[in-house]
Amino acid sequence: MNLFRTLELLLENPAAFLSGEKPSGLGRAGLAGYFAGTLGLFAYLRIFSAVPPGFASFAVVLMLVLAANFCFSAVMHLFLDLTGAQGSASRLFLVFGVTDFLLALLVPLAFFAKLGYINAFLALCLCLILAVYFRVRVVRGLYPVSSNKALLAVCLPYAGFTAVFFAGFIYSIAWLVWLAV
Amino acid sequence: MEEQKNISAAQAQQPQPAQKPPSCRGAGLWLKIVAGLYVLSLAAAFAVINRTDAARKTMSSDMDISKITGIGQVKKNAVAVVELYGVISQGSSSRSWERGSQQLAERIKTLSGKKEVKAIVLDINTPGGSVGAVQEIYSAIKRAKAETKKPFIARFGDVSASGGYYVASACDLIVAHPGTITGSIGVIFSVSNFEGLMKKVGFRNEVVKSGKFKDMGSPMREMTQEERKMLQAMIDDSYEQFVAAVSEGRKMPVEKVKLLADGRIYTGRQAKDVGLVDRLGDLQDAVDAAGEMSGLGRNPRVLTDTDPLDSLLSLMESRISLFTSVAAAASLEIGPRLEYRWYGH
Repeated sequence: MNLFRTLELLLENPAAFLSGEKPSGLGRAGLAGYFAGTLGLFAYLRIFSAVPPGFASFAVVLMLVLAANFCFSAVMHLFLDLTGAQGSASRLFLVFGVTDFLLALLVPLAFFAKLGYINAFLALCLCLILAVYFRVRVVRGLYPVSSNKALLAVCLPYAGFTAVFFAGFIYSIAWLVWLAV
Repeated sequence: MEEQKNISAAQAQQPQPAQKPPSCRGAGLWLKIVAGLYVLSLAAAFAVINRTDAARKTMSSDMDISKITGIGQVKKNAVAVVELYGVISQGSSSRSWERGSQQLAERIKTLSGKKEVKAIVLDINTPGGSVGAVQEIYSAIKRAKAETKKPFIARFGDVSASGGYYVASACDLIVAHPGTITGSIGVIFSVSNFEGLMKKVGFRNEVVKSGKFKDMGSPMREMTQEERKMLQAMIDDSYEQFVAAVSEGRKMPVEKVKLLADGRIYTGRQAKDVGLVDRLGDLQDAVDAAGEMSGLGRNPRVLTDTDPLDSLLSLMESRISLFTSVAAAASLEIGPRLEYRWYGH
């Protein structure tokens, strides 16, 4: 199925589209979403010189985005499955790819940020919040859960990652102090 | 007429085709517009990024202020200080944070290859070390001097004897404290003999060898006269290499060097009197001398070769080794080896 047609159907009635036996074109749309979203994110980061130039650099960012989303969707599926909500983990991963299309917004926002009309970090946060919002919506379409539970499921891996990062950070600071003293 | 009625009745009875779902052409159009805008904005973004990158590259090569005015050049150029502390030994080539001869030779090569480094000061505080490791650093200095023509200055700290002096002899100038312990030009090969002890505790070492000299230098038996002669020949050869290096570096006749090179140690002042040291002074004097020899003047900018990451790794290894037997095993290492080393330190 045409990519635009798939996106149209998903926008029109996400619950009906996702509840089908095998939503046609979802795989292609999801991967295209990851690619387009990462390209937007990469362009945003390049505009602020946060990543080195070159295809290898983009490939690394793409791999990171894919790996992170793969892990996050696995954790979310596990959480939902353990709490009694049945669904498909692979479909969740692909739908998250579709929501990554929103990261394409980062490109024009980066221009505005460069021109001083908007804060760069705020632009990034805006896109991420939008992505999270749509992820909550698609989780509700894929799993029979309430909005609050979907929000909890989406936020859970982010919270876990942040907790692990801060724990590691504090531990490394303590270790450095131990090394120096 | 009747037939026509029947046909129209049949047509009326036939099920009507299912109604098509409402087309979402509007959404599709908007999606295509958004995709087009996205492609356009991406193209614009990458065009801007490319132009910015190109401008940056041009700025770094053509707009280097030091090339235009020479003011930046004075600030940029520096004298590098390389530390040579402790017993000189071969380090592991895979561990950049170790201060072995390989790493030091690599640092000397790297620093001498840097444009902003106009002279190199070797801050030496070592009683020497194994012959191979000392010669590795010595040859690195000689090669760097030949390739870059940059002056090398040796500065002696507390002790710079034997192998430490060997390394310094490759330098253009030697600066020492009046009380520095230096000299000890010579070679040593020492091996412990545990034969008596082993007999007492009832321990016997069985050796099966391909040739009669294969276990030469073994601590489990007395050394034979033939072996002693062979080892003496090796030591004499290494000694000749040491003397030749000092003679070449200090521009001193071999006979005169041999008179000084009986293994004795000198204070810095004594060494200056006999021509083994050029000047008396401290590290700042050595840096000033390097600045003058390289045309930077006194008190030049100093560039140290300490890498923060290497320092951190070295610190981590030293802490981790406290929990392992590596440090204890290293301290108990008693294998015989040929050394340019002073054992009074």
